[in-house]
Amino acid sequence: MGRKHWPLLPAGFLYAGVFVAPLLFFFVISFWSVKSRILRPDFTFKNYVATWVQYWDSMANTMAVALMIAAVTTLLAFGFAYAVRFKVGKLEGPLLFLALITLFGGYLVKIYAWKSILGRDGILNQALMELGLVDQPVDALLYNTNAVIITLTYFLLPFAILPIYGNLRAINPATIEAARDLGARRWAVMRDVILPQCEKGIVIAFTLAFLISAGDYVTPRFVGGGAAMMGHFIELQFSLGFNWPQGSAMSFSAMLLSLAIVLVLRAGFRRSLRP
Amino acid sequence: MMRAQQVSDLAWRGLILLISGFMALPLLLVVLFSFNQSALTSLPLTGLTLDWYRRLFAKDAFWPALENSLLVGFAAALLAIVTGTLAALALSRYKPRRAGLLINILSVPMMMPALIIGVSLMSYFVRFLDVPLGLWTVVLGHVVIAQPFVVLILYARLASFDWSAVDSARDLGASPLQAFFTVTLPIIQPTIVGAGLIALSISLDDFVIAFFTIGAGNTLPTLVWGLVRTSLDPTINAIATLLLALSIGSTILALRLSRYRG
Repeated sequence: MGRKHWPLLPAGFLYAGVFVAPLLFFFVISFWSVKSRILRPDFTFKNYVATWVQYWDSMANTMAVALMIAAVTTLLAFGFAYAVRFKVGKLEGPLLFLALITLFGGYLVKIYAWKSILGRDGILNQALMELGLVDQPVDALLYNTNAVIITLTYFLLPFAILPIYGNLRAINPATIEAARDLGARRWAVMRDVILPQCEKGIVIAFTLAFLISAGDYVTPRFVGGGAAMMGHFIELQFSLGFNWPQGSAMSFSAMLLSLAIVLVLRAGFRRSLRP
Repeated sequence: MMRAQQVSDLAWRGLILLISGFMALPLLLVVLFSFNQSALTSLPLTGLTLDWYRRLFAKDAFWPALENSLLVGFAAALLAIVTGTLAALALSRYKPRRAGLLINILSVPMMMPALIIGVSLMSYFVRFLDVPLGLWTVVLGHVVIAQPFVVLILYARLASFDWSAVDSARDLGASPLQAFFTVTLPIIQPTIVGAGLIALSISLDDFVIAFFTIGAGNTLPTLVWGLVRTSLDPTINAIATLLLALSIGSTILALRLSRYRG
């Protein structure tokens, strides 16, 4: 190793020792078995079989919900980033600041906030009753898939806005005007000028939102009323079930499926942008 | 034509208003209710009070959790800025393509669900290394997720760094270490502090990894988890507001220091 490379070593060592090695070991565990609550080294595929047989429904459900969240989040993030970049003038800085400060502020706090907004005594029910739209508090706002989608979209939005905005910032508004002057229609400008420039940001935003929501378990438990998401069942294998191999096989199955979905969608998205 | 333009401007403004309201209002409500007299989370406010904070500070579990959160946060931030800054310094001298590839690899933990990082770390510590869980295992977990942010921020800063000052120092006979401490470090120091504060907010905000790797005891987020699960205790609004103040405060400070924009 030359002296130019050594500063990479501490970060690389940490990455290998506290990220890659644990994941590899965790992967090995997925082939182990459990006997009377004791982990036993083994080489069996039965955890994977059980995952796909028993949890197929919730796996499909998880992917559907995560896709929905990723789509809504990316759309909102694009709309916001686009408007902040080109439509609000002096407010560009303050609005971007809003996205930045909510980035790391309170994962649990955000979930809790929505729980109290959507709850029976929550502010939304109150508003609905004040407006005379309903006579009694609506229970159906909380503890369902919609609540999970709203809450996770809320949590992920700032993470999705920043990469898209980062790409949009590189576009000169004059380019857009030039395209318009040359007779390009609104949609053509969007497809041929703007979208190709922020392809990378959109892909990052979507991937991040999809992977994080596919693996979340706190939100489904808090506001989803046990909505059948994989994260919830994975967590149970470690808390109540004490079946680490099963939990591990479920984790890797869910990650593999999510990754496959993301790659297919990304290829489709890229192709759709090529004329 | 003018008319269509006005309609479209109005529509954009409406969209911005809706989305920024969606982003800001829920957190504002939590802060507001932490000062509300009534235990119900409903408007109008029945009067302002600091009672929920008083009750929170009187809880036995609160102070150790705060102490743990701060200890873990500062330790993780310090470690992450050392490893992350060194890595960014090396990467900034690489060709952009190669540096980009390495940064992407180092950034994988950002995309990974915290649940999977948490349970894999727990099984690794408990079953493979056979070490007791504790605050230091939480610190290691947090460094893994914070390190990529530090690398990204520092790498972006170093992209516009003028290396000629360092070269002249070297020409004048400074050792690489001397050149680093007298020239490079003073220039990038605000960015390092900023990145450290971002790492601190990431650590303060994490619940999932802490939950799986702490063994016994609490950090503030795991304490909140316990409170939310057992009851709708209005002190949650107070502790949530404190957490928000801590992480948003350090993010704002970080943004000012590092001038990081998107």
